Formats: sequence, C-alpha cells, structure tokens
Amino acid sequence: MKTLVTVKRVPDPESTIRVKPDGSGIVTENVKYVINPFDEIAIEEALRIKEKQGGGEVVLVSIGAKVVSEQLRTGLAMGADRAIFVACEQELDSLAVARLLAKIVERENPELLVMGKQAIDDDANQAGQMLAALLGWPQATFASKLEFSADQKSVQVTREVDGGLETIGFALPGVITADLRLNEPRYASLPGIMKARKKEIKEISVSELGVDITSRLKIQKLTPPAKKQGGKKVETVQALVDLLHTEAKVI
Amino acid sequence: MNPFPGFTLSPELELLRDQVRRIVHDEIIPAEKRVDPDAEDLAEEDYHRIVAKTKAAGLWSLAAPEQYGGGGVNTFGMSVILEEMSQHRMGLYNPGCGVFGRYPPPVIYGGSEEQIQKYAVPTLRAGSYTFFAITEPSGGSDPAGSIQCRAVRDGDTWVLNGTKIFISHAHEANWGVVFVRTDPTKGRKGISCLIIDQGTPGFTARPFRTIRTVSLPNEVSFEDCRVPAANMIGKEGDGLDLCMDLLTKQRFPYSACNLGVARAAHRLAVAHAKQRSTFGVPLSQRQAIQWMLADAEVELRATRYLIWDGAWKADRGEDARVEASVAKLYSSEMLGRVIDNAVQIHGGYGVTKEFPLERWYREARVRRIGEGPSEVHRMVIARALFR
Repeated sequence: MKTLVTVKRVPDPESTIRVKPDGSGIVTENVKYVINPFDEIAIEEALRIKEKQGGGEVVLVSIGAKVVSEQLRTGLAMGADRAIFVACEQELDSLAVARLLAKIVERENPELLVMGKQAIDDDANQAGQMLAALLGWPQATFASKLEFSADQKSVQVTREVDGGLETIGFALPGVITADLRLNEPRYASLPGIMKARKKEIKEISVSELGVDITSRLKIQKLTPPAKKQGGKKVETVQALVDLLHTEAKVI
Repeated sequence: MNPFPGFTLSPELELLRDQVRRIVHDEIIPAEKRVDPDAEDLAEEDYHRIVAKTKAAGLWSLAAPEQYGGGGVNTFGMSVILEEMSQHRMGLYNPGCGVFGRYPPPVIYGGSEEQIQKYAVPTLRAGSYTFFAITEPSGGSDPAGSIQCRAVRDGDTWVLNGTKIFISHAHEANWGVVFVRTDPTKGRKGISCLIIDQGTPGFTARPFRTIRTVSLPNEVSFEDCRVPAANMIGKEGDGLDLCMDLLTKQRFPYSACNLGVARAAHRLAVAHAKQRSTFGVPLSQRQAIQWMLADAEVELRATRYLIWDGAWKADRGEDARVEASVAKLYSSEMLGRVIDNAVQIHGGYGVTKEFPLERWYREARVRRIGEGPSEVHRMVIARALFR
C-alpha cells in the first residue's frame, strides 16, 4: 500500500515559547524545531502498515521553508522511503495547505493518507478534514486504532470521540488523522539515519502546483497565557460554586 | 559565497544525538526516579524494557566495531553522543544506565579473532561489565615503572602473583584484563596483558567503599593464579603498547561525560536561580550568582571545543596524547567547579538527595583522580612544552 504522510515543522513542545512584545508572533531565535508529535505518530503508523503488509511505500510531504528538510530527514531516518518538499516561505492557512496537499495527492495517487490530527503550534485541526473534502475521500479523524481488511481495500478505524470510542469503516482511499494513543513512535536508528542521507527529498514549487494560496485568515495578535496563580482551599461546596461563578466566571 | 563556511555537525550526527537525548529524557530519567538516589543501576524491568527499544533502534554498542555488531561510531561521534548520554543522575559512572550497551576494555581488539569472539562479542551483546586491572598499590600513572605483579611462564600457563588496586567491577564482571610483568629486566617491554576469567583459582577481588557509592573499586590479588597462555593479548611484552593508544582515545568520550554532567548541573542551577527569591529578589538578579553562572557557561563552551579538537585529531590517526590530557584535565576540573557552584546556588537543597547534585558532587571529586590525576596530565602537557 502506498501511504502519504504529512509532516509539519513545529517548535519543540519541551522548549519555552515566548511571545514577541508586539504580539505578531513568537520569538524564534534559539527555538529548537521538531516534527509535529502527531505527525510523528502518523509516520509510525504508516511504517507499521508497510511492515505488516510486507510491502508498499511511505512517502512524506511537507510544506514550508528549506529548513523543513531537517524534519523530513528525521522521518526518512525512521524508515519512510522518500519525501516531497513544497517550497513556500509564506504563512499558510489550513485551506491553502489542504489545497497544496490535494495537488500532491493527485500526482502521487496514494491509497491512504495519514496525518497528525493537528499541529501543536496553531492547533487548527482542519487540514485533514479540508483535504478529505477537497478530494471527496472518506475521513476518519482522531484515530486510535486501525484494522485493514484482508484484501487491504478497506479499513476499520477506532476514533477517540467525546465520551468514548467510535469505530467506523470505509473503502480506500481515505484520510486518517492520528490521535495520541494510536502508537508510540520509534526512535530513528543509526542505520536508518545513515540510509536517510541517500533517500530522495524532491522539491516542488507552489507555482508548479498552480494553487491559490492566498490566506483568508490573519493572525491579529498573540498573547501569552495568563500566569498560573496559587490555588486556594474553600470550606464548602457552596463556597466553591460561588467562587467559580463570581471570581473564575466559568459557571 | 563564503569560501570558509566553518564547522557544523553533520545532520546525521545531530539526529543521532537527538535520539540519545530523547531516550535520556523520556526513558532514563523517569526510570531513575523509581530507584534509590544512590542506586547503581535501574530496576531490572526498566532496564530490559528500555534496552529492547535501543536495540530495536540500532542504538546499542554504538562505539564498537561494526564487524562485531557495533555502530562503528568514531571517537568524535562518541564524544558528541556521550555529552548527551551522561546527562542524568547516574550519568558520570554509568552513562545511559547501560541501556546503550557497555564496552569491554578496548585492548581486547589487539587480541586474536578467537579472543575477540570468545570475550568481546558476548560482552558487547549482553552489555555486561568487565574490568581493567593496571593500577597497583605502588602507583597507577607510571605502569612501566610501578607494575610489580609478576607472571612466570610454566608450560602453557602463566602463574600470577601480586596485587592490583582500585579495579572497578572486578568482583562482579565475568572477565577482565590484567597487566603483569613477564620480564623484570625489560622495563616497559617487560609488561604483558592477560585475560582473566572470573572464578580462576588464585584470583580474588575484594570490593571496598569510597566517596563514590557505585562502581565499587576492588583490591585484586593473585596467589599462584594460573592463566592459560592462550589468554595473552598480543605478544609477550606488548602490553603497554597495545593499550596506550586506546587509552588516549578513551579520554575524549570520558571527558565528554564530565562535560555532560556539568551541563546538566548548570542547567539545574540556571533554572533554580530563576525561580528562587531571597529578600524579595530572584537569585538570577544577584551579581554574585550571575558571575558564577556566566563563568560556568564560558567554561562549558571551552571544554566542548577542547574535547572535539582532540577527538578529531585522534580520529585522523594523529598523536593526540597532549590533547587527551588537556581535555581530561580541563573537563574534570571544570566539572568540579561547575558542580560546586550549582550546589551553592541550590543552598540546602543542593546537598539533599532530592536533587542529583550531591551525587554528582561526590563522584566529580573522583574524576580528578581516576584515569590519571590532574597532576600527571599537567606533567604530560608540560613535558610536551619543553620537548
């Protein structure tokens, strides 16, 4: 089975993120970047599918500045076969991303698309859904388990939804977005790292794909989350409810 | 275009280092919290669970030669990696808690293919401890002059008599190597290297306790201990020639462990200085503290390049003995200073077992003595100045 996996470069969730004083973005100096953790889970799942089926291809795709090749290289070191890199310096909204990816899908004709459920930088959680809609493919988001039919023509996906698990099935091709519990991604191995050096990262320009990437969204301002305050103890449930209502204003 | 772009790590080595960093952070540090602060190793089940992952990822035995199942990573690469691998509580004397494998004494690779297959390969595979017995009560830094432990040939065995001291793991390892005098008339050329199996009659190892509560050193004694002649590594009289080059190379990853632990201590100190206030002012705003931390930052950066410079030289096959002494001397003394300040900045917390600092502080003291004390390395450096 040929699987396409999307990879986004995001700031390391372990690092301290600071908002620029003017609120136009985050301070990017000295920030370490990693593969979006949900995308890493998506790569792992694609690799497991390939290993289980004893064949197929795992193709990574990323959009962004030249530096995203670092993250693609990491994915190739985990075991993906090759990568596609769409060169684009400007900020993209989810729809532009989905449109670019739709073009890549047209070219590559994968049987399956696995994506992270969301990127941990903007947490938009839209690209997968939009892409499925643009392609007219079925989608299963927030996947925690996949089971393919014997003929590998369809898949049963367990989804983590509010209040429990839901299992849905569809005939391939389709879009699956990975949730946290789908798997535990492997570490890139030394032989894998050395092999990755020789694997292909193909560069494609946005103009080649002929997609309108005009952003329909504008980030007005970023603000850091409020500083955590120390907690307080209350004597009765009534006092707690009162405070939640009058002070925290959450009920 | 810039014709001299300068140096960056290769993307492959960076990626490898990141994998090791992740395993230390995600696997080793949490597992370490589940055992006693003075523990020598992780709990069995944690060790095996993590080893399954490192083996699956081909991150096991990175430094060992490829033909014996290792990663074939060179001295420079291992120096970069050990700087990460040592950044945890047990990291100074048990980098990575052994989950990336453990190595036999490198002198074994000077032996025959048969010896390597019989001794080195199973050790690499199992990641077990071995020992290296060269130091004697008469001194450790001048083996050519001070080795008195005698081996006398009798048929196809060598008969050993004598004492070795400060031999880590000698009581628990399956085997180790011992340097003995096979010809008292030949000085340096009269010293040979033999493989000793645990349990050989006449071999006893008595562990004793030190400031370092783990990797206990032993007093090792030989009383008419018979060792098969086939256990000699290389030829008779080759003992020191076999090990000196390899000992030199080992100094760089060793120094990288000093650097790694110092960096970990420094990071804790910076974090503590940011969040701890005295008299209403954060420590990070106090000049006394700032200067400690600024000096540490400078020394850490300097150490890294001293190690890398020497490791490159060693990997090119050039004589790096002075560089090895420079790296070992500076890294171990720097470690002492950085940890001492980190403890001071933490105040009372610095000497509790709630933090890894007190263990690093104690173990760091040993780093200025073991593997050649500071004075001997200064001697080596000075000797080169006046050559």
